[in-house]
Amino acid sequence: MNVLRWWWGLVLAFSLLALLRVFLPLPFANEIVIFSIYTIGCNFLLGRVGLLSFGQPAYLAVGAYAAAFYFYYVGSNPYLGILIGIAAGIVVSFAVGSLFVRLRKDYFALVNLALAVIIFYLMQKVLVGITHGDNGLWFLTSLSSTPVLDLTSPDQFFIFSLLVAFAVWAFYKYLDDSIFGAACLAAKINEDKLRFLGYSNYRIRLLAFVIANTTTSLAGAMYAVYLGFVSPEIGSPSRAADPVVVTILGGVGSLYGPIVGAIAYTGMKDLISKTLGNWELIIGALLVFVMLAGEKGIWGTLEPLLLKALFRRRVPAGTGRDGVTGG
Amino acid sequence: MIGAHLLISGIIFGLSLGSIFFLITIGLSLCFGLMRVISLDQLLYYNLGAYVTYSISLATGNLWLGVLGGMAAGGAAGFAAERLVFLRIYERDITFSMITSFGILIGGIGVIKYFWGLVPRPVPDPINARIDILGTDIPGYRLVIVAIAALVYAGIWLFLNRTIIGKAIRAGIEDIEHVEGLGINVYRLFTVTFIIAGGLSGLAGGLNAPLVMVDPQMGIDLMAFAFMVVIIGGLGSIKGTLVSSFLVGQVVSLGSLIYAPLAQMAPFAIMLLILLIRPTGLFGSPLLKR
Amino acid sequence: MMNGADILTVSGLNVSYGESKVLFDVGMNVRPRQVVACVGRNGAGKTTLLKSIAGFVKPASGSIASDQTSLIGLAAYVIAGMGVKYIPQDKKVFSDLSVRENLELGSYATKDYNWDQVTAYFPKLKLLMDRKAGYLSGGERQMLMIGRAILGSPKLLLVDEPTEGLAPSIVEHLKHVFRDLSKKTALVIVEQNLPLVCAIADKVYALNDGRVMAEIADRESIRPEICEKYL
Repeated sequence: MNVLRWWWGLVLAFSLLALLRVFLPLPFANEIVIFSIYTIGCNFLLGRVGLLSFGQPAYLAVGAYAAAFYFYYVGSNPYLGILIGIAAGIVVSFAVGSLFVRLRKDYFALVNLALAVIIFYLMQKVLVGITHGDNGLWFLTSLSSTPVLDLTSPDQFFIFSLLVAFAVWAFYKYLDDSIFGAACLAAKINEDKLRFLGYSNYRIRLLAFVIANTTTSLAGAMYAVYLGFVSPEIGSPSRAADPVVVTILGGVGSLYGPIVGAIAYTGMKDLISKTLGNWELIIGALLVFVMLAGEKGIWGTLEPLLLKALFRRRVPAGTGRDGVTGG
Repeated sequence: MIGAHLLISGIIFGLSLGSIFFLITIGLSLCFGLMRVISLDQLLYYNLGAYVTYSISLATGNLWLGVLGGMAAGGAAGFAAERLVFLRIYERDITFSMITSFGILIGGIGVIKYFWGLVPRPVPDPINARIDILGTDIPGYRLVIVAIAALVYAGIWLFLNRTIIGKAIRAGIEDIEHVEGLGINVYRLFTVTFIIAGGLSGLAGGLNAPLVMVDPQMGIDLMAFAFMVVIIGGLGSIKGTLVSSFLVGQVVSLGSLIYAPLAQMAPFAIMLLILLIRPTGLFGSPLLKR
Repeated sequence: MMNGADILTVSGLNVSYGESKVLFDVGMNVRPRQVVACVGRNGAGKTTLLKSIAGFVKPASGSIASDQTSLIGLAAYVIAGMGVKYIPQDKKVFSDLSVRENLELGSYATKDYNWDQVTAYFPKLKLLMDRKAGYLSGGERQMLMIGRAILGSPKLLLVDEPTEGLAPSIVEHLKHVFRDLSKKTALVIVEQNLPLVCAIADKVYALNDGRVMAEIADRESIRPEICEKYL
């Protein structure tokens, strides 16, 4: 597979995404990018490793609050804050992951949600001394401008987040194509065979867990820098469904699914909140509908068709169902 | 040290809390045990039961009529969900049912918001009597809740051990294919189980309505606790959910006498501990492939 | 003698588990009250064949009919209700229920509450009525499974490796039971125990790698040496 072919899909996708900026207001565009990064972790876990987590807000909160503590109490460099958020993500997900990934799938999903509730509670009540509870931590003014790309400027932040997202996607695409990616899929489908081959299911799952949730923490830290403010709301368990819904909408396991899903989700939410007002009903019905109709999601269904149309190429059997690597 | 009075009322509070947990989690456990689905929508039936109880008791002035209505509403909603949605996903992976039932839960909350609005509703206590136990003043209503939960447990026990359908359900929890191989219509068993589960969750909502404000979030608020109870007790075991409901109830209640914030987190710590020693919970059943 | 009312007709059956194909173009005919044996190595597809007939596995193509009624697409409990009963090889009974309750479930399904025949074949069960089925030995479980299945006078029994792991005395007992059962019920028995097969079978199908390698309909030809050729 030559280098050009590997990169061209990513370049195309992100050029399109950058183009979005022209049509959408800036807050929208920023939200979509960060939200996509938030979702890809969940997507990877569910689609590639077969682990459903209802507790993604937990890791979002970890990244956000780690950055927030840094900004509020220590320093002001946005880049450093984001790095701290990532580091916190690695530490926490490794700590809980070592227990969580031993569990059965159903317990796994529930236990992650319980974690989200605990962290929410911690930030809201228990550690109210340092987190200021529901009032949140405000630090927009203490962020310092950065050379080259000033992260305190929303316009330039968009460029930054686009670059970060590009890097993240390149990373996940690399994973997909690597032995690790194959091992994850194998762990999802047939644990026993993988064990007989000499791989440790546990280690694979743990590594995947840490990668996915660190990505989520990265998104959390980015939210912190972008908003200049963090409150317990960011880790609210009632929003535990968000990344799952977006994952399903976009297509479980598909590389660009999170982006498509994020656009669809954010767009719909805005539209429906303004016109119909009853967001939960729509999203719930949509989720049930999509699950009953088939888990491919929007992008999962479109992608094979697009590939066929663009390349006049027959799509190999089994594609689109359990994950497709971007073209 | 905690005074005796405080301790006694703490224990009673823990018992009534445990009773509510128990009523919700029986449904979760049964649905998993028999059908290998995670029925997160039980929390919707809890929520729905509370609202129906609110409306009926407002209209008739009688809470108990409301609670009956709430139970019926929960059972009916469970029936509808089973026939319309779950029927189509029994053969699928367990994560499928988790996501789908979550969708039903969220969508259902939307429906509740549509009909009842966002403002939390108070439901009056039906029993103002306070009973004296060992010199402590106990709200009579909480004792009634515990009594009802005990009755429900007895009822479920009788159902599962003395009726043929109950025995079929117990057999199905062990091995559903063998039950079907005998010629028994297992799909009807599934429907019955969902009706029972929904009804009990609705009952829990109705009973809890006077104690907490009835609002669209109440199901979600309880969700984490319900999970922790189910995980500690072990999915698929009625005995397990009984034990862990009351364990968690006591921990939360007595714990908050010592140090309130930690009391909410203690169940989580217990859950982690149990999972370390016994990954399927105290009495859980294995996740058999079908 | 041409008799159109076969109790079971299977033809062109193709079955796959996911991507891997397990049965290739399998055919089988069973007359009323006939004892048909199905032999073959492990993994030959014998259990899959029985499960497909019983409705637990959906075939990719082919036809399965009993008394000229197609069984394809019917739910397993409907097929059992039609008198086609499957006895799996796992020797599993409902361990939390008593022997009595196990039989009660069988009666509930078939509306046949006459257990005389069951206790006639398996008098030991009478003594074990109130014992929890989980405490039964392998042989006793097999007896219970068969006892449960014959309630309601099924027209066809699909028995999967009944004598596996059982003591010779029990195997001998089962041999007599099957012989007697075949006076009223057709039997399709999957077995590795060749002497047993040859003692009671009217017809033998040999399966290998999912294909029918041979159909031996002549009673005289059914001898262990002949069957072994196909294993």
